[in-house]
Amino acid sequence: MDFRLRGAEAGDVPDILRLVKDLAKYEDMEKEVKLTEKELLEDGFGDTPFYRCIIAEIKGETSSDGPSHAPTEATGAKGAPVVGFAMYYFTYDPWVGKQLYLEEFYVMEQYRGLGVGSQLLRHLSELAISTRCSGMMFVVAESNAPSISFYKRRGAEDLSQEEGWRLFRFDKASLARMAAPAEE
Amino acid sequence: MAGFILRKAKPNDVSDILRLIKELAKFEEMEEKVMLSEKDLLEDGFGDHPFYHCLVAEVPKEQSSDDHTVVGFAMYYFTYDPWTGKLLYLEDFYVMQEFRGLGIGSEILKVLSETALKTRCSGMHFIVAENNTKSIEFYKRRGAADLSSEEGWRLFEIEKEGLEKMTSR
Repeated sequence: MDFRLRGAEAGDVPDILRLVKDLAKYEDMEKEVKLTEKELLEDGFGDTPFYRCIIAEIKGETSSDGPSHAPTEATGAKGAPVVGFAMYYFTYDPWVGKQLYLEEFYVMEQYRGLGVGSQLLRHLSELAISTRCSGMMFVVAESNAPSISFYKRRGAEDLSQEEGWRLFRFDKASLARMAAPAEE
Repeated sequence: MAGFILRKAKPNDVSDILRLIKELAKFEEMEEKVMLSEKDLLEDGFGDHPFYHCLVAEVPKEQSSDDHTVVGFAMYYFTYDPWTGKLLYLEDFYVMQEFRGLGIGSEILKVLSETALKTRCSGMHFIVAENNTKSIEFYKRRGAADLSSEEGWRLFEIEKEGLEKMTSR
């Protein structure tokens, strides 16, 4: 099976959402996915893209002659099955400047072992270098040992361990409270 | 009672922004790690595609003992959560020591919260060093959740050398 990587287009949004949900399902979090195709379209393909995607699709197959376990829902914009993706955006480190931030990275189970993951990472690395980023960052769940090994083998450092950084969040309710503080 | 204003940073604020970045890095004992120049900050923040946004806090000249009127800043940008969409990411947040206790920090957080809500972000993210208890309390008092604790997320980085190795695989 041969595959190719390409930049996502607006027509890929349904596949992007499908793969986001697939990955969430794998983490038992499918109902946490609130995003809609409309939002993904506006946010990724409007005037200011808030995210970018690289898509992996199987060459030389359409949904009609693919293997029986490649469901018709794995049909890309041009009929080629979309089987993996990487979602990224650019962030900024005040000490060294631009960074490429890898937000999501997923290949459908039945298409693993073909080198899609490695190729995606290679493509992202080239992109980071050509856009003069000083590094690539991402988070991994501490319980995800296979991913941690995959990344460490390629030189990734665990900054949470080495530098003690902890990721925090204000949710919408806290933001609303801070935006309009109560009278003292 | 000292007054201050908050405003969006302008291109000629880059030398103050760099000064405050270095001051914050010094506080973390990491000053030599700051590699950015004013030129980088200018291109990256005020070019065709800004990679970051800044709010600066300014006091009137008479209140400043050393001619610097820009006394605090927040650097942020937008990120994307594949489950909930846009997020505001607070990258750096610092007020000069002598200007603390005036409410600058709270006001900055307020403006950032308004910005996040206006741009339809589902939340604000940021990282804090685990030994920075003062900051952790400042944020927790305002409702922040420690995702590293609650959800076990660990932040990783592949530096340029690692990236280059991967491009030649």
